[in-house]
Amino acid sequence: MRGDLAGYIVRRILHSIPLVFGVSVIGFGIMHLAPGGPLSVYTLNPTITAADIERLRVALGLDQPIHVQYLGWVGSMLTGSWGYTLFGGRPVLEVILERVPATVLLMGTSLALAMVIGTLLGILGAVRRYSLFDYLATTGAMLALSFPTFWFGLMAIYIFAIELRWLPSGGMYSFGEEGNVLDLLRHLVLPQMVLTLVLVATWSRYARSSFLEVIQQDYIRTAKAKGLSSRRVLYRHAFPNAVIPLVALLGIQLPTLFSGALVAETIFAWPGMGRLFVDALSMKDHSILMGMVMFTALIVIVGNLLADIAIALIDPRVKLG
Amino acid sequence: MSTKLALTRRSLLKGAAATGFLLPATGLYRPAIAQSNPDRVIFATTQEPVQFNPLLYANGGTDTIPEALVFDALWDVDEKGDFIPNLAARIPTRENGDISEDGRTWRVNLKPGVTWSDGQPFTAKDVEFTYQTIVNPSVAARSRSGFDLIDGIKIVDDHTVEITLKRAYVPFYWAWQSMHIVPHHLLSGESDINTSGFNAQPIGTGAYILQSRTAGSHMIYEANPNYHRGAPKIKQFIHKFVPDQLVAYGQMRTGEIDYFGLVGIPYDRWEEARGLPGRTFQLNPQPYVQFIYFNTEKPQFTDPKVRKALYIACEMEKSIQDINFGSTPRTLSYLHPSHWAYNGALKEETANPQLAEKMLDEAGWRRGADGIREKDGVKMKFTMSTTAGVPSRQASQQLFQQNWKDIGVDMEIRNMPGSVVWGDYTTKSQFDTLLVAWEPPVGMDPDYSARCHSNAIGNGANYTLYKNPEVDRLLDLGATQENVEERKQTYAKVQDILLEEVPFAPQFGVVQGNMTVSALQGIKPNQYVTDAAWNVHEWSWA
Repeated sequence: MRGDLAGYIVRRILHSIPLVFGVSVIGFGIMHLAPGGPLSVYTLNPTITAADIERLRVALGLDQPIHVQYLGWVGSMLTGSWGYTLFGGRPVLEVILERVPATVLLMGTSLALAMVIGTLLGILGAVRRYSLFDYLATTGAMLALSFPTFWFGLMAIYIFAIELRWLPSGGMYSFGEEGNVLDLLRHLVLPQMVLTLVLVATWSRYARSSFLEVIQQDYIRTAKAKGLSSRRVLYRHAFPNAVIPLVALLGIQLPTLFSGALVAETIFAWPGMGRLFVDALSMKDHSILMGMVMFTALIVIVGNLLADIAIALIDPRVKLG
Repeated sequence: MSTKLALTRRSLLKGAAATGFLLPATGLYRPAIAQSNPDRVIFATTQEPVQFNPLLYANGGTDTIPEALVFDALWDVDEKGDFIPNLAARIPTRENGDISEDGRTWRVNLKPGVTWSDGQPFTAKDVEFTYQTIVNPSVAARSRSGFDLIDGIKIVDDHTVEITLKRAYVPFYWAWQSMHIVPHHLLSGESDINTSGFNAQPIGTGAYILQSRTAGSHMIYEANPNYHRGAPKIKQFIHKFVPDQLVAYGQMRTGEIDYFGLVGIPYDRWEEARGLPGRTFQLNPQPYVQFIYFNTEKPQFTDPKVRKALYIACEMEKSIQDINFGSTPRTLSYLHPSHWAYNGALKEETANPQLAEKMLDEAGWRRGADGIREKDGVKMKFTMSTTAGVPSRQASQQLFQQNWKDIGVDMEIRNMPGSVVWGDYTTKSQFDTLLVAWEPPVGMDPDYSARCHSNAIGNGANYTLYKNPEVDRLLDLGATQENVEERKQTYAKVQDILLEEVPFAPQFGVVQGNMTVSALQGIKPNQYVTDAAWNVHEWSWA
């Protein structure tokens, strides 16, 4: 089994090389062929002239033909720096990695909480289908999915940070409290609450339909007919099967751990990847954007790989290969 | 389905209640009214600086904060528009003999005893190196405005440099005011200044020293105890990034920040902001003026009379009242009405559709069968572009669209992402009209050559492609006049002509509503600079 697994992982990694290459070509092409470009940021500087802009185009290497720029970029990807940011002149990999911890913390805890709560709600909804609870949970999920995150965020800030003053409105630490876990938790509560709300809504819907399908299977009826307690039926017989699609869902959601939440991070001034992406996009910093595209592509591939392996391990019907 | 669940409603409620009681115990619940700490000031902006080298940054907003804190220019400009010495010992003038009679040679005496924050002495070599860096073709310097006129620079001694200009140029003061001095001893050995580590860990002569930076969150600066204008009174300066404007305003109210600068408070909250206890709401006139830019080479706009007619059809005052809550002053020129060189004799003529119709008729633009005016087979149809997704700009565009529709002019709003509209579309004059806010091109000097001199077409910033020999003559003259009254008259004439021929139609001068904790003293709003922290060494706590 172990040898199988290693071989499988190696094969999957080899398969993903052309995929990564394709992503990079398409990403780079779209970014550079799109109208406008990073130099427009300079146009807003009043002291700049058209001659200055031409000079900057040359100084930043943007006058090179696109294939030359692409090869230069590939070179920098392979040598480790991932190129330099256009506007700060810093190594792109460094700029991306310094944002990862904040995003992983926020998204990781939100996703974990959402998984637990969402799955519980889903199970409850499935076993008590069409009960008052089920209707409330369904309506609640629809509401949570329909309202935009920024609205929830601003409301949470207004109520808990400005009116009640229970919690800070944003950031990750109070000044001078860096590394203080309690302070971090206080800052984490609001953004996490908002993100979890939306994620719970998604998870509970998936969990509900997955459990519904499973508990209507013959073997569940058989298990019950044999006189097993309903708790045992649910946890020993239904749960392992119902959870398989959720593992696949987790694999799909794993990349968001690293790509961050654009809106929530902006509203709550959370120093994560989502903010980096929004800022880089507004300035059209191609170097950072390409770095983030590649980073996300790699995580998507790894996430899917992990999900496939996990499913193979928990579902005897699935074989790796 | 009658499967009974282990999880009952009661157990869920129990769990929730327990969590609720536990919250305060864990310290998660703690009323958070921050008290201002007298040893530090927390300054917030919505954007985060990315480039700390003052010669390289592209974002003239937030990137000026590290510039103003860490670096010094040869001289600054105060809130009255006067130059005051910084690294220079005095301001060069003809009277004190530092500027030659022909205006081409400038002698700059540098303050002795100034050191970089790493202890190295500041000398004339640093000034020369700063100039060489700005004009170095492989360095992505943000501007060369003024520096391209330098013929040569000579180090006379450690504290004196002599600069020779290709021609006399009074606004040359602004070149050195806007570009801060960088250290020769740290940067001259760098193979590529664009990617130097210095750009993230700058060393300057300024009032504060950058201590640490937490990406996406804040930057911490400590006071420079050896600052040559006296150590700052506040020990620590924290630049905090709060991306959402409303949230930052909220943090200002809860005391999590002491100063909300740059973009500031949204217009619709100004009324409330004025009444907040313990907070000071400050109007910061910005150097920007919002304009309609006409591409004067498009067939619709070649005739100045047509541009004037389009301008006077617009309800400019109404746009200010309805969209900006009356908060932005109306201006009739490219200068803010409070600028020293503003021509106070200019007359308001807008919101006059009858006259506009008459002028268009006289210019030969007659209404066609569809109600749209046309002349020689050209329809009076065009587009107006600006950055997409800015509600106040869109509202202005819609008002102008309606104003013009009433006089038989068909304008289509075609907004685009900023990176598209301000790229080649603007700099290569591909637009019909633009809605744009710009500041004067040479610091806050009234010299507007880069935007409307005919020699600034193609390689300058004359994107409207406007040509007028008289304007060219006046602009050339103004750049050589040292007497303020004479300059004022020259630029008053320029403003007269521009308002008559309307290559760009002024709408209003931009004002930002900034807020500070009232106990924070020494802040001086200054319309002549873009650095909100320009006099940070004078700030103190009451």
